Amino acid sequence: MRNRLKLLRTERGWTQEQLGQALGVSRQAVNALETEKHDPSLDLAYRIAVLFARPVEDIFDNPHALRKSG
Amino acid sequence: MLAMGKSTTPAHRKYVIRTLAFMGGYVAVNVGAIFGAFDEIQDRPAAWLLALVVAAPVAGQIWATLMLMRDSDEFVRGVTAKQFIIAAGVAMALFSAWGFAESYAGAPHAQGWLIYPLFWAVFGLVSPFVRTSR
Repeated sequence: MRNRLKLLRTERGWTQEQLGQALGVSRQAVNALETEKHDPSLDLAYRIAVLFARPVEDIFDNPHALRKSG
Repeated sequence: MLAMGKSTTPAHRKYVIRTLAFMGGYVAVNVGAIFGAFDEIQDRPAAWLLALVVAAPVAGQIWATLMLMRDSDEFVRGVTAKQFIIAAGVAMALFSAWGFAESYAGAPHAQGWLIYPLFWAVFGLVSPFVRTSR
């Protein structure tokens, strides 16, 4: 799932390890999210949203969102 | 069975310790059997108990893998499940094919316990290629 996790993380100067600790997941999980090898559960997506104080859809592209016409 | 990513998390460290404990028992009993430690009980009822004792670490190793999945995050859990299912499927298919080859093509007999090392060999081969949880 396309996302802006790496951008948000690096803006704060965090390593993948640090972000993983803040979220309660492994560094491998953070790397998999950033490289789109893992789609987060709803629970993890909400935890990420709370950590960055942004709505989920500001971080993760909604693949089911309706395309705006014209 | 130990090559499941870097052993940096507490869950992975526990998994490695449990694996070494179970496999240590498995290897010890088998080495003992190879060197004749249980020759006196062969063909007796106690030999059935010996067979169960040797097989017990196999169940223990599956339990250790389930505990790793329980204690890990959702990504590690998903990847481990995928690796396990693929390895189990390939090992069962290969061993079944060999069994049919014995029945129809006169292939030499393979002992049933070979499914276990075969499973972990396949697990080791496929794991590097299973990097996504999808």
